[in-house]
Amino acid sequence: MHRSFRVSSRPLRLAAPLLLALLAVAGCKGLEDSKSAGPADIGGTLVITTAADAGTLLPPLIASITDRQATDLLYDRLADIGDDLNSVGDKGFKPQLAERWDWAPDSLSIAFHINPHARWHDGFPVRASDVRYSVSLIKDPALGSTAAPLVTNVDSVSVRDSLTAVAWFKRHTPEQFYDLVYQIVILPEHVLGNTPAAKLKDAEVGRRGIGSGRFRLAKWEPGAKIELVADTANYRGRPKLDRVIFAIAPDFNGAATRFFAGDADLFENIRPEQVARFVNDTAHRLQRYPTLAYAILGMNLRDPKSPGQAHPIFGDRAVRRALTMATDRRAMLKNAFDTIGQALYGPFPHAVSVADTTLPQIPYDTTKAKALLDSAGWLVGADGVRAKNGRRLEFALSVPNSSASRKQYAVLLQDAFRRVGAAATVDQTDFATYSAKLAAHTFDAQIGNYVTDPGVSGFKQSWSTAGIGKDGGNPGSYSNPFVDAMLDSATTTFDPARTKAYARRAFETIIEDAPGIWLYETPAVMGLHKRIHTTTMRADGYWSGLADWWIPVSQRNARDRIGLRPTP
Amino acid sequence: MRRYLAARLLQAIGVVAFVTTFAFVVVHLAPGDPIASALARPNITEAVREQWRVAYGLDRPVSEQYVRWVVNAARGNLGYSFSHRRPVRDVFADAMPNTLLLSGLGLVLSFAIGIMVGLLQAERPGGRRDRWLGRILLVLYSVPDFWLALVVLILFAYRLPLFPPGGMTDSVMYEYLSPGAKFLDRIKHLVLPVLTLAVLTAAGIARFQRGALLAVLPSDWMRTALAKGLSWQAAVRHHAFRNALLPTITLFGLSIPAFATGAIFVEKVFSWPGMGLIVVNGIAARDYPLVTAGVMVMSVLVAGCALVADIAVAAADPRIRLG
Repeated sequence: MHRSFRVSSRPLRLAAPLLLALLAVAGCKGLEDSKSAGPADIGGTLVITTAADAGTLLPPLIASITDRQATDLLYDRLADIGDDLNSVGDKGFKPQLAERWDWAPDSLSIAFHINPHARWHDGFPVRASDVRYSVSLIKDPALGSTAAPLVTNVDSVSVRDSLTAVAWFKRHTPEQFYDLVYQIVILPEHVLGNTPAAKLKDAEVGRRGIGSGRFRLAKWEPGAKIELVADTANYRGRPKLDRVIFAIAPDFNGAATRFFAGDADLFENIRPEQVARFVNDTAHRLQRYPTLAYAILGMNLRDPKSPGQAHPIFGDRAVRRALTMATDRRAMLKNAFDTIGQALYGPFPHAVSVADTTLPQIPYDTTKAKALLDSAGWLVGADGVRAKNGRRLEFALSVPNSSASRKQYAVLLQDAFRRVGAAATVDQTDFATYSAKLAAHTFDAQIGNYVTDPGVSGFKQSWSTAGIGKDGGNPGSYSNPFVDAMLDSATTTFDPARTKAYARRAFETIIEDAPGIWLYETPAVMGLHKRIHTTTMRADGYWSGLADWWIPVSQRNARDRIGLRPTP
Repeated sequence: MRRYLAARLLQAIGVVAFVTTFAFVVVHLAPGDPIASALARPNITEAVREQWRVAYGLDRPVSEQYVRWVVNAARGNLGYSFSHRRPVRDVFADAMPNTLLLSGLGLVLSFAIGIMVGLLQAERPGGRRDRWLGRILLVLYSVPDFWLALVVLILFAYRLPLFPPGGMTDSVMYEYLSPGAKFLDRIKHLVLPVLTLAVLTAAGIARFQRGALLAVLPSDWMRTALAKGLSWQAAVRHHAFRNALLPTITLFGLSIPAFATGAIFVEKVFSWPGMGLIVVNGIAARDYPLVTAGVMVMSVLVAGCALVADIAVAAADPRIRLG
């Protein structure tokens, strides 16, 4: 008999309705403050607690979220993606370093006209040759850029004049503009050009952070903080905040205490047990923000011991569907995340343009799950565990011990599977071991956290046959020719409506095939000091509009009032 | 003496070489590698990771990597940290002063508290003060370090906001303070982590000091001191205490390496960028050069301190015959 899970914390239960209302307000208002900043509202300091230090400030080599946050604020692209994250054509893209662009009649090249007022943080003007350098650098195999596989369609860049860069593409594709302007950050050739690409990984120059963004690097104290200050002469206008500081706090509880004690203004990862603390908190508020991260239970469809063969358990579609039916995803979401949980409807977060939350789901039904396993020949043995041809329905469920929510889900799933006669052993390892298993495909099932790109092509990497192997992101080796065809069509049509329709059919088939169980969208709720006023937050990074966040003069504290005066 | 010194030095070098080699082998045996950990984002392809492995020579046999590491280390090059994306030497140069500051103060304070409490207990062995202090010490001795650090942080930085909740200095205001205010800010940030470290260690030292004092109390010279008319307290403080301090001083020497290599949980909870935290994070990230170099630094400290202690004892105690 199914036992429902209950929220164990009484204060949390009592506060839940109020908090739901709070979150709903924060989430439904478009995540921005109705009042806008006036000229007097320039200034102030934002301190963000972050778990880990950055590794590099060189965009083509970034690997961690802190790398990404800092470089996004320090560097500009030719154009920035719109708030709706449309990746087809150039609709919605906003000018950054390129003040305008012209498509060639055959669409195989685009001429970008650089804003003549754009300057690097060291005062040098931004030139078309910087665009050429950035593209050739990211494509240079000696650099080993993490973004290189995403820009294979960009052939080269030629310089028409000092302010006009012409980008050449191999093929005319719906996402060619997105590939270039979203994946490639423009770098200063005069700073980096003298260092060979192969040496840039280790070069000190990669830590200088000289970009053209609205913030510039003031100080980087390794392990302690990264301080960015307003670039007051920036061609896109001075940011409203004077200063943004990433304060490194490696311990979760330590970071939370720093936030609640007022030492920091923004704490990115509020956990369910902390939500109740905001009810009577006059200084802080909860802020939900969209995200592109989601978690699934991914099944390995190939035998880990013999990759040429189907997995003895998960190679069977009926077993995969039965295990999905055995999973009460709604109850698990409530149990793990309470009011801040967000359901997942397929292999996509709801923030992407092709998301469709109306897709038919495999229903939670343990009776049907048992019947399905029976009909597939998996019969219950004396110890309650099913078996077929001498093979027990027993498998390992890999999770990294660094993730509290995934560890919790592993236990909940183990219990759910046990009820239908499947024995899952939780295989909890450190992240490096977990990653190694995924890379080598030596796992049965794993709870993975996925972060997708806004573009449709990201789904090809994760769910198409082409994504299997070293160049892809399909560790479970899921393969379905129909899905491949639909994802191909979705990435080649120029009509956004058809893109969505093709993606829908691909997602529908993936859900039916059940290569994974769609667990949750990674809860994205931050704690924020009430004096901080935000703008629209994009799903690919809440910090995208951070330069326009502001603090009213009347609400400023001592650290807001220090201004941009030089240090004594 | 010269031959003794040479032998002890060779021994120390042997210990360091063995421990470092052992660490190198063990960290390479663990599943995963530094590139898979550093480039863990799902949209980074395995081909890119492979490219990085080749660039850093991680595709070479472990024996070749080891020889290369040893040759470089002999030249003072400790390698490149994959998790910090900097030379290991630079990473340590940043972290070591922080650890020495925190641990140095923690070490001195813990011995000061421990010796004092041990003395107070031994003055009236079995008395009410001794019993109560003994119970308190037992509790403190049993408390896990991360738990105590968190409790101290929440109590004195959040519930009673007397001290800052982490970091080495105020992340915003420090640069703009006067020299005096900067010093005060440093002290305020040191109080909680140093106190936590001191309390955790002082409990063990106090028990050790008490035991040492109780061992010398029945001595003949104590009886003589009392017979000469000294009070019990004066005899304990002026005679027994001095004699019982010698093993504690030895303990102090032996504690230096342990403190110098960092207090991992205290560093983590109080956001203190020190050696312990860096090396432990390095293990999780499979940062081979960082971990191997970290173990080497620690083993050099342990072997070096032991060597100095042996030489000091040999020089000071005429009963020890050398050669």
